[in-house]
Amino acid sequence: MLTYLLRRLLLMFPTLLGITLVVFAVMAASPGGISAKSLVEGQNLDPEAKKEIEAYYNRLYGLDDPAWMQYLRWLNNASPIGFTFDEENALSGFSFTKGSDLGRSFRYGRPVTDLLSERVPITVLLNVLSIPIVYLLALLVGVRAAVERGRSFDVSSGMVMLGLWSVPTMLAGVLLIGFFANEQYWHWFPTAGLSDRVVMDQVFMPHWSNLWDLGLLFLSVTLSAALFLSMANAERRLRMGFIGLCWALLGGTMVWQLPEAGRSPVLWLMIPVSFTLLAVWLASSDYRLLRQLGFLTSGLLVGLLLAIHWMQGEWLRGFLFDRIWHLVLPVVCLSYGGFAGLAKLTRTAVLENLLSDYARTARAKGLAESAVLWRHVFRNSLLPLITVAASLLPSLLAGSVIVESIFSIEGMGKLAVEAVQTRDRELVLSITLIGGILTLLGYLLADFLYALADPRVSYE
Amino acid sequence: MLLSVNKLHTWFRHQGRTIKAVDDVSFTIDRGETFCLVGESGSGKSITALSIMRLLPSSNLDRHDGEIRFQAEGGLTVDLSTLSGAQMRQVRGGQIAMIFQEPMSSLNPVFTIGEQILEAVNLHFPELGEEQAWERVMQALREVQLPDPETRIHAYPHQLSGGQRQRVMIAMAMACEPDLLIADEPTTALDVTVQREILRLMKALQQRTGMAILFITHDFGVVSEIADRVGVMQQGKLVEVGQTEQLIRRPQHNYSKALIAALPENLARHEQHLQVAEAEPLIRLKQFQIHFPVRKGLFRRVVDSVRAVDGVDLEIPRGQILALVGESGSGKTTLGRGILRLTEPTGGQVDFDDTDITRLDRRQLRRFRRHMQIIFQDPVSSLNPRLSIAAIITEPMKVHGIGENQDERIEIARDLLAQVQMEEDALWRYPHEFSGGQRQRIGIARALSLDPAFIVCDEITSALDVSVQAEILRMLLQLRAERGLTLLFITHNIGVVEYVSDRTAVMYQGRIVEQGPTDAIINRPQNDYTRQLIAAVPRVRL
Amino acid sequence: MSERPVKRQSYWRRILGQTFVRWGARLGLLWVGILALVGVFAPFLASSFPLLLSQDGALSSPVLEHLQPVDVLFLVAFVAVLALIPMQLTLGRKLLLLAGVLSLSAVLAYTWVSPPKLVIYEQYRVAEAAGRYDWVLYAPVPYSPKDYQRDRGETGLEAPLSNGERTHWFGTEQNGADVLSRMIHASRIALGIGFVATGIAMVLGVIIGGLMGYFSGVVDILGMRLVEIFEAVPTLFLLLTFVAFFGRSLYIMMVIIGITSWPGYARYVRAEFLRLRKQDFVQAAEAAGLPLSSILFRHMLPNGMGPVLVAASFGVAAAILAEATLSFLGLGLVDDPSWGEMLNQAVQSSSFNWWMAAFPGGAIFLTVFAYNLIGESLRDAIDPYLSKSG
Repeated sequence: MLTYLLRRLLLMFPTLLGITLVVFAVMAASPGGISAKSLVEGQNLDPEAKKEIEAYYNRLYGLDDPAWMQYLRWLNNASPIGFTFDEENALSGFSFTKGSDLGRSFRYGRPVTDLLSERVPITVLLNVLSIPIVYLLALLVGVRAAVERGRSFDVSSGMVMLGLWSVPTMLAGVLLIGFFANEQYWHWFPTAGLSDRVVMDQVFMPHWSNLWDLGLLFLSVTLSAALFLSMANAERRLRMGFIGLCWALLGGTMVWQLPEAGRSPVLWLMIPVSFTLLAVWLASSDYRLLRQLGFLTSGLLVGLLLAIHWMQGEWLRGFLFDRIWHLVLPVVCLSYGGFAGLAKLTRTAVLENLLSDYARTARAKGLAESAVLWRHVFRNSLLPLITVAASLLPSLLAGSVIVESIFSIEGMGKLAVEAVQTRDRELVLSITLIGGILTLLGYLLADFLYALADPRVSYE
Repeated sequence: MLLSVNKLHTWFRHQGRTIKAVDDVSFTIDRGETFCLVGESGSGKSITALSIMRLLPSSNLDRHDGEIRFQAEGGLTVDLSTLSGAQMRQVRGGQIAMIFQEPMSSLNPVFTIGEQILEAVNLHFPELGEEQAWERVMQALREVQLPDPETRIHAYPHQLSGGQRQRVMIAMAMACEPDLLIADEPTTALDVTVQREILRLMKALQQRTGMAILFITHDFGVVSEIADRVGVMQQGKLVEVGQTEQLIRRPQHNYSKALIAALPENLARHEQHLQVAEAEPLIRLKQFQIHFPVRKGLFRRVVDSVRAVDGVDLEIPRGQILALVGESGSGKTTLGRGILRLTEPTGGQVDFDDTDITRLDRRQLRRFRRHMQIIFQDPVSSLNPRLSIAAIITEPMKVHGIGENQDERIEIARDLLAQVQMEEDALWRYPHEFSGGQRQRIGIARALSLDPAFIVCDEITSALDVSVQAEILRMLLQLRAERGLTLLFITHNIGVVEYVSDRTAVMYQGRIVEQGPTDAIINRPQNDYTRQLIAAVPRVRL
Repeated sequence: MSERPVKRQSYWRRILGQTFVRWGARLGLLWVGILALVGVFAPFLASSFPLLLSQDGALSSPVLEHLQPVDVLFLVAFVAVLALIPMQLTLGRKLLLLAGVLSLSAVLAYTWVSPPKLVIYEQYRVAEAAGRYDWVLYAPVPYSPKDYQRDRGETGLEAPLSNGERTHWFGTEQNGADVLSRMIHASRIALGIGFVATGIAMVLGVIIGGLMGYFSGVVDILGMRLVEIFEAVPTLFLLLTFVAFFGRSLYIMMVIIGITSWPGYARYVRAEFLRLRKQDFVQAAEAAGLPLSSILFRHMLPNGMGPVLVAASFGVAAAILAEATLSFLGLGLVDDPSWGEMLNQAVQSSSFNWWMAAFPGGAIFLTVFAYNLIGESLRDAIDPYLSKSG
């Protein structure tokens, strides 16, 4: 195992080298390439000053050297061990402790390391929040679809998942922001960033000026959640009627919340009706877990709305709630695609195992179908999903690029777009490097987890 | 009467059509008795068993019909087909246990074998404490004579051999002391020596516990070894039931007669015994070896090698059939492919007449290939699914310049198809339209299209039913006689060896342990391993 | 087992038959077909130039006069495809013939077709208003994609059907151009980029993957490193870098999307070749002494294409998405409207105008969905083991 890990780590180096080489080659080979000229081009300066700055850039980054020389220099700087140079740029020795220097960003004029240490955690936060949501929902839907193979849940969820998978992230983002973070429609969420300036001097947790309100909030949410949850298990027609009515009302409220100009007869009809239909369809499902989840969410929502309606006093959001509030839309935007894709994969994996010989053995032992599913099949189906987790990471990173751009979140993805747009060489290379390292570590971690989960795998 | 199946029908959904897979099957099994259901592939014997257990996947099952009366130990008789799901689960594993053909995939790979047996024990004996339950698991493993059960109990299935896994499956079935054990081709995937041990074990367990066995197989040898009574199935129908000896000696139904007559043991021995000593060798292997490197460690250095074929000396006389016998992993297939250089040999030489094949360069080898051909085991994968039969047969001819033009080659292909007893319109069809036996004939026609002197036949009949096997073997012998072919016939089936071959070589762990005239090898084996192997073969006692 | 009825169908005919039995695939194909028709006939569907007009008794067709070489090329391609489908030729021959016809007509179109350099969109409207024509027949959408309707004053950001005088089915963007017209013309980009980029990626992937799979050894190790390098960087990021540094023409974009998405195909082909190499029919081909080219291209490649084609139909969707994303991020085409760029426009304006986002975005979604539907049906047909019908 140790040998295997060591081997994999060693193999990472040529790959990382290749990645940076490819990206560097693209930049160097492009028309115009990276030169001091291309950097000052956009700025409105008189020719004298331009020349000055060009010369300065050349001195600083060695941009007038041949491309291979520039790459080697960058490589030497970036690698934690390498050659050291004295003030006159003469070779002074080889050091194992010189540390890695990713250079300075052209555009920001700051060390790349500083920039990255600001931006990377934000992107990581987004992804770390998305992954559990993605997995949880995907397992919920995928397992059921496999069990219901060929029946209505399988067919309809298959279609819906494929549809979700096909919704471009930017469309989802634009529509979400447009409708739910815009004064023209429902201004429920903030439009940009990760926190409001106001909360910077507020406490961490939310704070109520009036204890009665807090009690009300608690009571209303709990009661309504409990009511809805119990309705989820009620007789079929009852629960369908109940939830349908609820969502019809909610839809109506929603339209009513629109600014006067936005309310149109079409909306009055469309929103309540579509909500009702969706809710009734959910309530008609035989899938208890999904139903309960849907009812619980509805209950929490209704409780929250009622509480907000009844609450009298002032309250402060606090940092935590504000952060969550800002994160809702971006995280939704980032997760739905992965969720849809993973749900389909889960279905395939579970189905394959449900039809396997060992599942038949388990049934022949006299195990109930649910035990066969959760004890035998489920664990085996997780194995391929572990591998997928690794490839989920690059796609989530790519998703971050779009989501961060739409929601103006200052993360690594947005930085990446800015870097390539401004031809910021050091930044582009560093982001590539970081992205590559993250991805490769992800693959390695997945392989490692796989070996833990599957007794058949031993990395000799 | 332990089990009585009465007018069982099972309809199956397959690609939108409904198929009657079990058609009016009735039989009974007594306590302590072994009843064999025997039939060719697709005869519905496995589906009958799964119908009794109600284990058919719901997505494929259309409906059942009929009565399955089962008298449990208490004496109460129930109709399994009408039990509720929960009641049926009590019966499954508890009163009727089942084991399957593939010991490889029938155990869950992520649980230890102990855990898997324990699960069954806990399910049917919930009153047992944890320690007692484990004790029972251990007991079951001891009973099936799994070597070193104390350590093996914590082993994962992949750490065991095929035979050991089947023992574990039996232990799992026996742990709950069932009244009836349904065994669905439990030894088909195993080597004969392992098969013998498993069959012995089942018999011993049966004697000790008095359970009944419903044994499903396609092999009459196994039937005559284990069964008290036999039922012969054909296309979903049970055509004949009777005492084993009686049925094998004096089958009544036409189908049973044909089936038993097609056993290689019963085929008329071919008359033209060639004078073994007189023939010149066509193929001569000298110190032939094929090793595969094993790489390990940080830099993937070669640390060892798998000696698949390890220094083989072998001669195949011109115009004769040499049978190469051995169990799985003995290296016989590798040897066959190595002679044709489909797998590169790592040492030794192969003389074909006077040419050393191992020394030919790529171009010479390509030209030389028309003299030596191969026919494969798996009829499904041996034909390119994208090409018509005409293209499959004529392409090699074209490359080797046989036939002036395509028309002429088609004409030759037509002749070849006639020789392998196929209709000529087969030429314009695609492989998926043919049955296994027909594909095997096409494979033979393809091999013959280059008019080779030497053909390697790699287990060519082991994927076929006995009746088809008999036809193919007969045809092969006839072709040999007509064309003076030299054949290397690789097989694990001793019956086939006896019928078809002039000489036999026995292979074990990459080496030839014994070779000589077939009669001598079969009847007077000298080597210990050969003796074991021959003794393990289940024979139809006539 | 009873004998199956005689069916003389080649493998691909069978697979395609099974694919398009499924209604998902049919819907997908329908949408792609509509899109293709819209793309081909875009100048006749949405144009400020009348299809036909009569001035002083003389008929003329301004649309034809303003036809671009590209428009002609699309029309030729359409006719050629229609003509080729019923012909009794192998697929490869058909493709070759098509390529020949296209390149010939491209040369001809670019030398012979010369639309007027200076385009005045409003001239016919103005003339019509002045009553100079006897009668005029306009296209269903009487606006060109870049007709900003300067003659009509402030026309930007009109919601769909909100203007009593003029019909803008999907509204107008901030400069006053008709959204539907822009979308119709942008459908060509979506179609073109999907096919060409995927074609490039597939060819690269098949060649590299095939070499890796057949020769294994050193070739395989080096190739897999290359695949890993390309896979370790998020494709979108690589695309961004490429596009930002290499400019924004449609052709460069096609090539770049192709170059960045080959590793998936290479992986599939490699795995297939490794599997096929052990198959008996390939061994048989080897044993028959067939030349390497035949083994590779006749026996292995056609049998290994299944997963690749499945991946390709998903790949077309991904390529369309990639173009849309790039355009959305402001790195797309500069001169022509594309769906992604229109979505970007929707974000750029200060207020949220849903019609500018929903319609182009919806078009991207439908197209991507259509290809994914086809891809999924194709996969189910090729690998019936897990398909829904069982």
